Amino acid sequence: MLGIRNRHDLLELGSRHFIWVVLVLTAVVFGSTIDKYLSVPNITNILITGSVLGVLVIGQALCLMARKLDLSAEGTVSLVAVMAAWLMLPYREQDFAQAGGLGVELDPLIVIPIILLLGAFVGFLNGFMIMKLNMNFFIVTLAMQLVLRGLALAISEGAIMPGTPAAFNWLGGGRVAGIPVSVIATIGLYLVFGFVMSRMQFGRKVYAVGANEDAARASGFSPARTVILVYTASGFLAAMAGWMLLGRLEASVPTLGVGMTLNVVAAAVIGGVSLKGGEGSIIGAFAGVLFLAMVNNALNLMNVDPLWVNAVRGLIILVALIIDAQKSRYRGRAAAPDKAKRAEANQSAALS
Amino acid sequence: MNRAGPNRLVSLMVDNLIWLFVIGAFIAFSLLSDRFLSPYNLGNILLRSAAFGMLVLSQAYTFITGNFDLSVESSLGLTAMFAALMLVTSEAGGWGWQLHPLLVILLMLVLGGLIGLFNGVLITKVGVNNLLVTIAMLFVLRGATYGISPGTSISFFPKEFTWLGGGTLARIVTDDGNFVLSVAGIFVILAFLVGHIHTRYTQFGRNMYAVGADADAARAAGINVDRVVIIVYIIAGVCAAFAGLLQAGRLNAATPTMGANLIFAVHGAAIIGGMSIYGGRGNIIGAFGGVLLWSILDTGLNIMRVSPFWIDVSRGLLLLFAVLLDALRVRYQRNVQMRMALAASTIGLDDKEHSDG
Amino acid sequence: MAEANLKTDEILLDMRGISKTYPGVQALEDADFSVRRGEIHGLVGKNGAGKSTLMGVLMGIRDADSGSVAMDGQELVDASPQTMLDAGISYVPQHINLLNTLTVAENILVGNLPKNRFGLVDWKAVNEDSQARLSRLGLEMDVRQPVEGLSVAERTMLAIAKALFANARLIILDEPTAALSRVEIDLLFSFVRAQQEQGVAFIYISHHLEEVFEICDRVTVMRDGRIVGTREISEIDVPILIHMMVGGGVQEYERESAAGEQTVFEVRGLSRRGAYEHVDLSMNRGEVLGLSGLQGSGVDELAQALFGLDRLGVGEVLVDGEPYRPGSPKQAFESGVAYLPQDRHRFGLVQLRSVRENVTYSVLDRLVGRLGVLMRAGEQQITEEYIDKLGIVTPGTEQRTLLLSGGNQQKVVFAKLAATQPHVLILHEPTQGVDVQAKVDIFNIIDDLSAQGVAILIISSEVRELIGLCDRILVMYEGRITDEFSRAAKDMRPEDILLAIEGGRNVGDS
Repeated sequence: MLGIRNRHDLLELGSRHFIWVVLVLTAVVFGSTIDKYLSVPNITNILITGSVLGVLVIGQALCLMARKLDLSAEGTVSLVAVMAAWLMLPYREQDFAQAGGLGVELDPLIVIPIILLLGAFVGFLNGFMIMKLNMNFFIVTLAMQLVLRGLALAISEGAIMPGTPAAFNWLGGGRVAGIPVSVIATIGLYLVFGFVMSRMQFGRKVYAVGANEDAARASGFSPARTVILVYTASGFLAAMAGWMLLGRLEASVPTLGVGMTLNVVAAAVIGGVSLKGGEGSIIGAFAGVLFLAMVNNALNLMNVDPLWVNAVRGLIILVALIIDAQKSRYRGRAAAPDKAKRAEANQSAALS
Repeated sequence: MNRAGPNRLVSLMVDNLIWLFVIGAFIAFSLLSDRFLSPYNLGNILLRSAAFGMLVLSQAYTFITGNFDLSVESSLGLTAMFAALMLVTSEAGGWGWQLHPLLVILLMLVLGGLIGLFNGVLITKVGVNNLLVTIAMLFVLRGATYGISPGTSISFFPKEFTWLGGGTLARIVTDDGNFVLSVAGIFVILAFLVGHIHTRYTQFGRNMYAVGADADAARAAGINVDRVVIIVYIIAGVCAAFAGLLQAGRLNAATPTMGANLIFAVHGAAIIGGMSIYGGRGNIIGAFGGVLLWSILDTGLNIMRVSPFWIDVSRGLLLLFAVLLDALRVRYQRNVQMRMALAASTIGLDDKEHSDG
Repeated sequence: MAEANLKTDEILLDMRGISKTYPGVQALEDADFSVRRGEIHGLVGKNGAGKSTLMGVLMGIRDADSGSVAMDGQELVDASPQTMLDAGISYVPQHINLLNTLTVAENILVGNLPKNRFGLVDWKAVNEDSQARLSRLGLEMDVRQPVEGLSVAERTMLAIAKALFANARLIILDEPTAALSRVEIDLLFSFVRAQQEQGVAFIYISHHLEEVFEICDRVTVMRDGRIVGTREISEIDVPILIHMMVGGGVQEYERESAAGEQTVFEVRGLSRRGAYEHVDLSMNRGEVLGLSGLQGSGVDELAQALFGLDRLGVGEVLVDGEPYRPGSPKQAFESGVAYLPQDRHRFGLVQLRSVRENVTYSVLDRLVGRLGVLMRAGEQQITEEYIDKLGIVTPGTEQRTLLLSGGNQQKVVFAKLAATQPHVLILHEPTQGVDVQAKVDIFNIIDDLSAQGVAILIISSEVRELIGLCDRILVMYEGRITDEFSRAAKDMRPEDILLAIEGGRNVGDS
């Protein structure tokens, strides 16, 4: 069924499902060495901590598949969290770095659509500038991150705004039949986007545009529209993540999300989403998120000095990347890297 | 050949956009606030962003060769913490070695260089993507900083150690307040000057540009591309260590979070200073302009009592504006080239859409 | 350069008995090729004649199975790119590789910039030095400007100059005029002649025979991996040269016409500034129409514009009698026009994705069920249908197209187009880079499609193939359709068509 006929197929298969093998190994190793690692409460814990990261990873994975990057998502997380708290909470003079909101005290049911639309709009703006104004995607989303982060700080004046309403917190902190809502929502989003990317027209276009923009255009697709939609989705998902995070903390912290982008990109890449576009799957990205969450959790449970956790996690990411580099090197040899192949083709075509 | 006049002027302006921004911001703040031009403030502009400036210098180096190093912000933190631990007594949280400050400075620079070497080797010899390697290193190094730290900040360093970051060369007393000529400010200017001379006037520096412009063509010209890239990463690491030294010196303390989340602002400064992430473009002096602009915005908005949180917003918007101008320039140049090509052709003259162009 | 040797009968390069076999193909057979000192030596032949293999051997990037290469009577053993460079052989490709963001001066002196006594780069010396070097070659350009601001002709001359500074004595020019205007060609030619007078030899590879007559002293013709002959340019004319290139050989393929009566595609007075003018053509149902022209004659631009990849310009195009002005490939597909791009890797295939995805890209709209969900069964069916119909050799529908052979990749692109069931099919160099078997398969596909009533426009420089396939052949020269040949009129002779492609003038006599 898997259609393995030779060593190359085996390696191709192995590299495609590499992350799952690693995931199972990780579970076995940690499960057998750490007491209660595979217990229900701990697994729930892993999933809760992975949920916000997981939502962000979906958006980033879409961008990477379209051969782009969204550095602004973490800024969106900060801004929507601050906006939401600001719009919902009663006014209070700032003291001890804590403050209230603007004083309009909007209902969560109004605020939620507002922040989701805001996130989507920011994403749309990114996509528009990149595709319609031909601005560089790296710089656009980098600048956008600075703007959003700054706006979040400016609105909150750097203060923490605690006490968000329960209805709003439901997504991040609520439980249904004992299962955290955030986990259900995240898994739901993965199912939806996994389906969109593998079974729907939009997904097909994203992969095509990411792998070869010119060929995608000649196949009748509009790269501009596709990429703008990808960024819009990424912004929307970042707003979801902000909502979720704020709900879990029940207080807006203006530095929310800072430094997350790097974790998010790492998770997506470990999950097999290529930086060079056109490859990888949403389900793979999910595995990447699980892997990072499991490692984090295990490091906590193993009583690794919390101060060293970051270093160990970074090392693990590094090792994963080195293995990944070897994998693509092998593939490069198997099927001649595009560039060399093209160069040779050009040369012989030009000469003949 | 026949280069159009206006085109050249536009190019010249866009190429030196950063200095227009710097001068514009300087004039604007001078008009908006009478305290901006005070001697105290002018002396402060560079001091406040000395460490930041060294990080920008490190990125300028990697950008020229078409590379990245996101890990420098963590190198800053790690080298500073490393130095602090070697300097102070065990009661103060250190390792109790109390090494001589100059030896400590040397060791932290070596550490920075080794981190760069590691990055460079992974990228060139192992073939890991430069963005991802340095992201991973960013975690590793920040984690190591927390790991070796006692969990809190370490302060009170010997004078010899803090001199570079916190020292004063001269103090000029005026009626409006004191003008302080800081060692750090002078050091940053010197560092950029050395960087400029190195990249502009040495064979190695030009090889860096060649690698960034087209690695294959550079290889064909006999340049050892891997070697150039590795050395550039080492230089970036040493710059980050200097940034750590300046920051720890200015604060007379080292904290595990030092330098955290600076990297994107650093990239912003380098890019608005005319550096390109695709390599082979821009120059160190322009990058210095980026540092100045960021710093002027910082102090200017601060003086005007604008919430400091607007600083990032203004930086981000300026950056967007600069990229937009660049995109427009590319489009304009393409149009000009197309027009010239069309003007040279006699085919299809009845296509009215373009025949008048 | 001072000790230039102007004796032009002295042999500089001598290649003897070069043979090279690829699996299944004899690419070069016992080829003898020599270049005299200070001559410009043309090398012509159709695509696949063996020019690239011969030059590859000369550049040290391909190993010959047998034979020897000598410069100045000294045999070059252990051929590698470096030994060939050291021997003074340099290659200037059509797409020139320079350090684009850096100045002309720095490009010339890269890796070895002049220093002052402090060991620092002396920019004044860099600029003066490079300016002086260029002046010695008679080349005047502002050395301070970045290379990205240069025109193509200037870049070519700069690349030649760089080769000369590296002590090249034999420079291979590969289609140097393809992207140049007449003024630029004159500029380049006078520069090349000036170097020739200094004793530098050139191998000039071109499809533009007129230019070969204009600049070359001798010309060597290749065909099917063999050297047909070397002639003094003064002794021959274009028809003789074309005859040598084409040979007497039999026609490779002949088909029955399936052309109907009803006109399905019509172009009336189409003009675009700088590309083509007053183009008129029409195709009937099931007709196969050939269109051939040199690079720069407007054929490439016309093909792309007809598919909505570029501006159409002024004029009128009708598909099935309806006005047709595609703004994008999507609109072209919707109007029943499909296009097979010349650059398969860039415009044809999404190599990272599977056969199934590539085949169905063009018909996704038809495969969308409720809520935008793709019908997997439908995809599978279409893909399998075309794998079967076109004989695509692949382990399965999920194979990445990257891993298929060139011919099978091309068939996947064909499948993508055929799936739209077009009325008009535009094929741009459909047999480029595919093996012999795949070629025959592709001819059969064209045959089948035309039998189904599809009007097919083939844009190709493979005249022999066009003659076998087409009912009519149009020739484009300098933006205009200048000649028509048809099977009905029995005037489809390769020599005549090639002559028309070259502009129809006999330069050799003048």
